[in-house]
Parts: sequence; structure tokens; C-alpha cells
Amino acid sequence: MFLALREIRAARGRFLLMGLVVMLVAALVGIVSGFTTGLGNDTVSALRALPATHVAFATGAKSDQFNRSLVDEATVAGWRQRPGVEAAPLGVTITRGTTGRGLEIDMAAFGVEPGTFPAPAVRRGTGLDAARPGLVISGKLADDGVRVGDTVTVDRLGLRLPVTGVTGDVSYGHVPAAYLPLDTWREIRFGVPGARTTPERLPRDASGVALRARSGADLAAADHALGTLTLPMSKVLEAAPGYKGERVTMTSIQVFLYLIAPLLVGAFFAVWTVQRAPELALLRAIGASRRRLLSYTVLQAALVVVAGTVAGGALALGTGLLLGAAVPFSLPAGTLTATLAAVALVGLAGTCLTLRRVTTPDPLTMLGAAR
Amino acid sequence: MTLSLSDVTVTRGHGRTRTPVFHEFTARFEPGRVTALVGPSGSGKSTLLAVAGALLLPDSGAVVLDDTDITGLREAERTRLRRERIGYMFQSGNLLGALTATEQLLAASYVAGGGTRRHRARAVAALEEVGLADRLKHRPDQLSGGERQRVALARALFLGPGLLLVDEPTAAVDRTQADAIAKLIIDRTRAHDCVTLVATHDPAVIATADTRIDLNPEP
Repeated sequence: MFLALREIRAARGRFLLMGLVVMLVAALVGIVSGFTTGLGNDTVSALRALPATHVAFATGAKSDQFNRSLVDEATVAGWRQRPGVEAAPLGVTITRGTTGRGLEIDMAAFGVEPGTFPAPAVRRGTGLDAARPGLVISGKLADDGVRVGDTVTVDRLGLRLPVTGVTGDVSYGHVPAAYLPLDTWREIRFGVPGARTTPERLPRDASGVALRARSGADLAAADHALGTLTLPMSKVLEAAPGYKGERVTMTSIQVFLYLIAPLLVGAFFAVWTVQRAPELALLRAIGASRRRLLSYTVLQAALVVVAGTVAGGALALGTGLLLGAAVPFSLPAGTLTATLAAVALVGLAGTCLTLRRVTTPDPLTMLGAAR
Repeated sequence: MTLSLSDVTVTRGHGRTRTPVFHEFTARFEPGRVTALVGPSGSGKSTLLAVAGALLLPDSGAVVLDDTDITGLREAERTRLRRERIGYMFQSGNLLGALTATEQLLAASYVAGGGTRRHRARAVAALEEVGLADRLKHRPDQLSGGERQRVALARALFLGPGLLLVDEPTAAVDRTQADAIAKLIIDRTRAHDCVTLVATHDPAVIATADTRIDLNPEP
């Protein structure tokens, strides 16, 4: 600590510059992490909120399953008969509507059977009722100005749906979710504008079957028998539009930042080590062990990397607060801590690249014979 | 502490360029006495300091500090020997640029693995002994050449070594300062009762030394 702090004090300009670089890298990683989480929430939070372990889709739908898959009532009934499985049909489609007060909204319509497990819990108003059409909206739509008691008219069909309740801040494909009875969902999904079609005459299909499977339930056998493809929830998230692409893009940026950080820190400490090679040789000459030189160099690196990383974390948090609800940004404490720890670790790993040089200066160079 | 070198041979270079620096050199040095190592450039003055100071192993011969033959020690043991029993005063002081005069001495304590805070008062006293009471918080770039050499001498003696090795102490200072440093080396050697070897060209330093050893390059 003695030498580490005094050298930092004497070369505070250089260390401040390096600390700023680490801070900016950490802030950038934090901000990207915030966007990764925020965009992820914006895309799949409605699916994450679904209390299901799996979703069964039609076999032919290989991607974008909620849009491409249709399963009929017989399939749902077949799933309901499988042992160890609780099944409920689920319909998902994105549509738009207008409230009675002229507020235009986009909504991800989640068709569920009221009383089954995918039906949402409400934090205001009342839940879905099988006896009458109604809409339980995401808190995000409430934030946008939609209220319980409003009537939302589905633009394409003129279908009028009263808002009965508000659930959590969930969305799907960057669109706030709205839950409605499955029959109403079928009208939106299969209804033809201008045609007066009763629900009984519409296809009795859903996008998929939400499943709550106990361990040991033979899902593969059910898939084989019912002609479905069952995915665990981790894979179901990838069925959301754009989710996988966003994840790959944001993760790639983070990976590159994790590669850049150790190179920046390593380059700084390489130059720093070369600059003080005569002093390291002097310390070796007067009896400093290699371990002592290494420990105080690592301590210097740790101080600059940790201080820069913490400052970067604060900057990322500040940026998140500044952005507010304008963009999908979410940086929970756990994510921030893990991100910053990773930045600090790779930064210190960069220092390790230069450690060999710290111990190589020859103490003999201090004497006139070697000059 | 006594230092004795027996039949020490050091060569420089490899293969056909291999040349002897000194051949079967033998000498014994007593505590409380200053020995001036004299000779033209290339005669082996600094090499002899390096061998005596466990910085360089000779090709053959024995270098015995009290009962310890340095040539039989491993590298880590020689490093420990340097920090515990040998003090160095290099050309131009060679101080650590980031540290004040007081901290230069505390750095020796830090290197030896001891604390620094409890040695501060002793460091101040050591600097006062070499006439630097008003330079305690000055960094190397705020000190004159002579003052830097005084700090280097105080640092070399701070942990009470039995052997003090001094390399061209007056090479970068004026005559007045050189005389003062030469006298200081003598005074401190007597006060600390250490074996002191000084590699020098300076006639004033040579004149103040107790013993003189002439080193001449091999023909």
C-alpha cells in the first residue's frame, strides 16, 4: 500500500486518465447491460410472467411460433388428459385499438380462458370473466393513459372491449400486453373486417398450449401422440419476435467491451512498467522480493480498476435515471453488480498480462559497471 | 560484520569475447573502516561492488559475509541478504521519484517487510544526521545532487546494515558537496561500525578513505 498509493499520487494525471478510461468502459458495459435487460423485458416480460413451464406449439412452426402456430381444441383436450400436466390454451397476436377518449394504442392480445392458470392476476379492477368480453391491460398501457372503465375498440374489426382491470408492467415484442378471453382473441385473430362472424363459426384454435408439467411428465410422448412441439420457457422466449436477434446484438457488444477492457488496462500498465523499470531495478537492488513488486503493482491496478469501475457503474445508473421511461432500460442491482464485477475482473486480467515485466528489471543495472 | 573475498574471479562476455575483470582477487574488509576501490574505467570497481553486494555471482571463489558464503545462496536468499544486511548508495542517489526524502527511508523499511508509520521518527532523525532536517518533505526533483546523495546515504544505513557499498558518490556534485559527502561517509561508517567499500575516481574521497585498493584491468 505504501508505495502503491504514493506512486499513484505522484502520477495522478496518468492514473486519473486511466481511471477515466476504465470508468467509460464500465459505464458503457453497464448501459449496454441495462439496454439488454430493458429490451429483453420489453420483448418477453409477458411470457416470463406466464406461470408455465412449457408451451406446446404446432409441429410445423419452427420459428416465430406465436405468430405461425395454431393448435386446435382436440389438441388442447389431448394435452389436458396427459398425466402430470396442467394445460390451457393460449393465443397471442399483436393488434391495435383506440379508447373512447381517442387514445390510440398498440397491444399484444393474450387470449386466455378465464379461470385457467395463464389468466393474469390484477392489481386494480377485476379479472377476466368467461361470461362477458373484457380486457385486463398491462400497467404500461395504464401509464400511457388507458383507465379501468375505458372501452377499447379494436381498430381492424370495430370490436368494443371494456377495460376491467390492470395487471403488471408486462409486454411482448415491445408492445404492452392486454389479456382477454380466448373467444374474443379468436375474433381478433380470425375475424374478417366487415364480415359479421359469430364466435361459434370461427376456428376453435389457439397459438399454443401453455403447460405446467410436473417433473417426470412424458412430454415427448405427448408431442408424438398429439403432433405438437413442446418448448421449455427458456426456448419459448426465443419465439418472441426479435428477441434472439436483440440478445445476440447486445451480447456481442458486451463481449467486445469485455475484450477491449483488459487490453486498455494492460497497455497502460505495460507502458507504466517500462517507464518505471529503473525504479523497479532499484527496489530489486535494495532487496525487494519479486512478490513485493508484484503485490504493489497489482494493488495499484486494483485501485484504479475498482475505482474506475464503481464510477462507471454510477454513471450507468445515472444514465438510466436520466433516460427514465423513455427507452427500455433496466439495470437491477444484481445485474449491475455482476456486470461491474466482470469489468473489474477482465481489467485486472489485463494487468496480469504485464506482470512478468515487473519482475524482470535487472538490479545490476543500478551499478556503474552495467551503465 | 566482516567481508572477505577469496580467489574471486569474474569474467565478462561469452565465448571468444570473454575477458577477465579480475582474477583470483582476495581481500578482507573490517568494520568501521572505509575502503576506496580505485582504478580507471573498466577496471572492475563497480563489478567488485556487485559481487560483494550479492548482485553478481563470481565465476569462482568465495565471498563471505561474516559466516555466510554468498556464492552458495539461492537467488531469493541473496535478495533477503541484500535487504537485511547490505546498504547501497548508487551513483546520483537513485531515489524513487514519487517519494519525499523521509519516504525514501521508509521505502527501505517497506521493502524489508516492516511497517512504515512506526519508523517515521527514526527516518526524520536519520535525515537530520546527514544535515537534511529542512528537506524532509522534498522530492528528488526538489533536491540538489548533493542532497540526493545524502538521502541515499541515509537510506542505505537506515536498516543498520553491516556492509555499505557506495558507487561513485561524488560523480555528479561540485567540489564543496563532494568533500562534504566524503566526510559524511567516513562519519557514518564510524557511527554504524559497518564495512564500507567506495568505488571512486575522486581524489578527495580516496584521500579520506582508511584503505585503498587499486584495481587495474588485465592486459
